[in-house]
Amino acid sequence: MAKKQRGKASSSSKTAGIEKPAESFTLSLESSDDEAPEEVTFEDSKAAALRSMKQALDTARREKQLLKEKRRKRQELFQEQKKRKLLSADVLEEIDSASSKKQKQSEDEGEQEEKPEKEGGDGKKKKKKKRSGKLANARNLKGKYTVTTVKERTLASFQQQVAEEFIRSRLYGPGTCRTTNNEMLSLQNKKGWNKSAAVQFVKKDWASKEKAKAEKLKKRWLHKQQLPSC
Amino acid sequence: MGEFKVHRVRFFDYMPSAIRTMAFNSQTERLAVARADGAVEIFNFNDNFFQEKVIPGQDGRATEALCWVGHRLFSAGLNGEITEYDLENLRPQYTVDAYGGPIWTISSNSQGTQLAVGCEDGTVKIFAILEERIQFQRNLNRHKGRIISLCWHPSSAQIAAGMTDMIKIFDAETGHATRRLLVDRAMGASKNKEVVVWSVGYLSDHTIISGDSAGKVQIWNGLTGTLVRTYLVTKWDVLVLSVSKDESSVIAGTSEGTVIQFQFISSTVDQHDKEWVRTRTFRNHSHDVSALAHTDTAVVSGGMDTQLVVRPLLDKVEKNTQESALRKIAFPHRSLVGCAKKAGLLLFQFPDRLELWKLGESEGHVCLMYPYFVCRFLQGEDHICCSALSACGGWLAYSTVSSVRLYRIQYNNTISINKVGTLARACSRQPVHLLCASDDGKWLATANTDCEIHIYNLHKMKLHCMVPVYNSCPTTIAIHPVTNNLISVHADQQIFEFSLVQKEYTQWSRRLQAQGLLSLWLERDTPITHITFNPKNPDHIILHDTYMFCIIDQSLPFPELNAVLWNQMTLKSLPVSQRIGQSHAFKICKSFQHLMCVSLLEDLSLVVVERPLLDIMSQLPAPVRQKKFAT
Repeated sequence: MAKKQRGKASSSSKTAGIEKPAESFTLSLESSDDEAPEEVTFEDSKAAALRSMKQALDTARREKQLLKEKRRKRQELFQEQKKRKLLSADVLEEIDSASSKKQKQSEDEGEQEEKPEKEGGDGKKKKKKKRSGKLANARNLKGKYTVTTVKERTLASFQQQVAEEFIRSRLYGPGTCRTTNNEMLSLQNKKGWNKSAAVQFVKKDWASKEKAKAEKLKKRWLHKQQLPSC
Repeated sequence: MGEFKVHRVRFFDYMPSAIRTMAFNSQTERLAVARADGAVEIFNFNDNFFQEKVIPGQDGRATEALCWVGHRLFSAGLNGEITEYDLENLRPQYTVDAYGGPIWTISSNSQGTQLAVGCEDGTVKIFAILEERIQFQRNLNRHKGRIISLCWHPSSAQIAAGMTDMIKIFDAETGHATRRLLVDRAMGASKNKEVVVWSVGYLSDHTIISGDSAGKVQIWNGLTGTLVRTYLVTKWDVLVLSVSKDESSVIAGTSEGTVIQFQFISSTVDQHDKEWVRTRTFRNHSHDVSALAHTDTAVVSGGMDTQLVVRPLLDKVEKNTQESALRKIAFPHRSLVGCAKKAGLLLFQFPDRLELWKLGESEGHVCLMYPYFVCRFLQGEDHICCSALSACGGWLAYSTVSSVRLYRIQYNNTISINKVGTLARACSRQPVHLLCASDDGKWLATANTDCEIHIYNLHKMKLHCMVPVYNSCPTTIAIHPVTNNLISVHADQQIFEFSLVQKEYTQWSRRLQAQGLLSLWLERDTPITHITFNPKNPDHIILHDTYMFCIIDQSLPFPELNAVLWNQMTLKSLPVSQRIGQSHAFKICKSFQHLMCVSLLEDLSLVVVERPLLDIMSQLPAPVRQKKFAT
């Protein structure tokens, strides 16, 4: 039996060689566990090993190629997209020539404006010129701009402002119980020898907003009063 | 007298500046007052409280403290600088930066050798006072909070400095803080709010008196560092204290507008157990009192309501005399309005700008043209000292501390203004505060604060003569267009007429001096600031002060000493025939109040520029809310 099997195995080794031992193996398993395993010749196994190695290499190569393809495709896609964003070549040329002219003008302007400031002799202004030189190469400063000197009182006036704020908050801040001049003068009118109305009514140009509001309210009230009657 | 068409002008928005601090020099009897816009004014207490000198302010110079050292005046402000003023040339002489941040207080020791300033960074800096300058000497030990107030001990050995929540006593030699006096915070809801010691006083018996933001005046024993007595005088802040020279009286100024006096007196007859007792309360201000000075005879106070009040103490002066009267100085003692008589233009002088207006016209009751605004001259940092407009309205000049500018104005349909020149100020010995030229351009009269009046002949370009010096400062001078007599009115309300051609006083002037002016005229408390003449009637002299304007008729007799000064109303009620017997030279009108200028135009219409005090008061900062009964 074993010989037969071997013979069968050797005859149809190429085509069904791979499956046959599996079949034979399963057949053998199904048949019995006592039987001896098949004999596989050295050449056969060598061939099988070579084959498997080849296949592995093949798959690896194929995978690599697949990846390459993918990458290439992606790169092309990006390039296409880039191309779409940029303008056409001739428009770019036009702009390029115009921008070079503008850069020259702005540099001249910058120089002129910074000349009077240079007389002040401040290191900061010189640095600014360098920076603007770099910027002019990098991009175009559109629109008009003026160069002014910053007054050197900023630090001192900040401290002064803090001090003034301190006084203001202590004398007029929250919790200081202050009232308006109108109220004080009106109370004087009320308590004086000749009692008269509050000052914002006595003086014509005071409290115009309140007076306008009062007028509107009065009109509305009168209107309301007239409604139920008609 | 005649009828005049009156241009009643109320569109001059003059706003005086709040008084921040003041200092009295008892040697020279001068009071220096510093205002919020940086201006410093010197008042002469010997000469009827006349405002002698005004040093204009500057943007950013927030003066917080003033100090006299002999005849020198120093100020320190929130801009961190100590300034010494040149009182001869009316300008800051130099400034020294203290490098401690904003300066809150300045004080000199009794010998006048050292100046101490309290700064924002918590240091007390000592400067040595040298001949022409001051020099930084040393810092005392630094404290964490800002130094708000300080005071030297009369022996110059210690300095008491008031800060937040405490008072520290420094040894002036070593700079160490020897004692620390802790000030209580306010009771009730404001327990969380820190208490600021706004002012301290140091007496020779080592008593320290402090006024703080909780409304307390506290008396401390400086040797032991203990509290002797507390007086709660107000619900708001006690902003300023002033100690009298003999140390028997202390006055405290509050945010309420009251000034409270404490005196060191004994309750029993035998003067052994003296203590500090609260005696008088003065209520002369409507807004916060931020500056006080205690002279020998009076209490001088000033604050946010911009008025300077001099209250003589009735136990030091005789009652019911001119000396014991309350004086309120609300308006400046010089004219801020210029009038072009031929062109009908008005020039208003503000500290930082000038405004030119054209007067309106009317026919009977119909108004043909309202007064309109012509143009504005903006001035930069330095404030304007004085300004003038020519009679034709074509030339305008104004001066600041650093320069004098002249402008030519042309009125076609548009206004064209050409700056003619900027001249540097020439130095002179004493500041000339009045200048007046005659109409024909031949004479120029100048008056300076030394009470000297010089007359110059402009055709020959040399000094013509000097008017005999009178001991009171002239407040205004003018040259009569027809007679070429110089009329001068002085701070004690005396009037003189001096003939320029004959170089002597006129007959009219001698008669007036012989007769004497009426007491009601002499007791007026505001000076005459402007004189003008009537082109139609050369006998008329038109003068005005803040409360009245007066036409002096040189052809009429002087009033008798017992005559009524203000008799216009009685004259009106009399029939025409009897009027001549009663009328006298002084015709006074009080219809227009708080006058800034009265002038007569060429078309014989009167221009009256008024600034009612109510308009000024309505624009002041907020006063405190006081609950009064039945309101």
